Amino acid sequence: MTKRKNFPIRLALGLFVAILIDTVLQLVWKSAVVSLPSDGSPWLNVQAALHSPLFLFVILLMPCQFLNWLMVLGKADLSFAQPVTALSYVSVFCLSVFFLKEPPDLVQIAGILCVLAGVWFISQTDHITEPKEREA
Amino acid sequence: MIGQAAVGVLLVIVGALLEGVAQVFLKKSVLRAARWYLWISLGIAILLVEKAIYSEALLFLDVGAAFAISSFNLISITFMSRFLLRERVTRTRWIGVCLIFVGVGLVAARA
Repeated sequence: MTKRKNFPIRLALGLFVAILIDTVLQLVWKSAVVSLPSDGSPWLNVQAALHSPLFLFVILLMPCQFLNWLMVLGKADLSFAQPVTALSYVSVFCLSVFFLKEPPDLVQIAGILCVLAGVWFISQTDHITEPKEREA
Repeated sequence: MIGQAAVGVLLVIVGALLEGVAQVFLKKSVLRAARWYLWISLGIAILLVEKAIYSEALLFLDVGAAFAISSFNLISITFMSRFLLRERVTRTRWIGVCLIFVGVGLVAARA
């Protein structure tokens, strides 16, 4: 029986930050798009976006998300880290239900349960493949 | 003649495959000290192309449908991690990925 590798705290933090930023991006992006004038041309929309604090916030968050993602990839397999970030769907769903008062849907709840079960399965695997294992 | 919806689905699938390639390049940048900047630049360039293709797909599909289909990137990324990065993808990890794929599809389809 193989021994499970220790899960680094920095990786846990990195994944948490990745999910947090992804959640904020999804919610802020939605609010930012809604705030744009609906009858404007694409060019007017770009101009309005550049003057919108919400869009500027999104633009600021994106490099942070990218740098954090590179840190996560340095500590975990891509096939481990990428699916775990799907937890942002769960957080966005919960925030939408509790704070935006969007009515929950049975199909969506089933989907959320599938995502949670999937992440649990992935958490049962080693987070990283060592170089000697890669050559096998 | 291919219908508009089929074109949209095709574009989203191409986008998902490109995202897989981009993520593999980003992972390569942290695996290899040499020419890491090249892998990062290629990864970012492909991600930008993927975003452009995804935006184009939204002209043919609803956002919910496009989002649900784009969860296919989980499958493509896992395949590429296994065969291009030689990561150890166990049966348990595959079960997890498939469950998440189905789950995201269900959530996004109702979005």
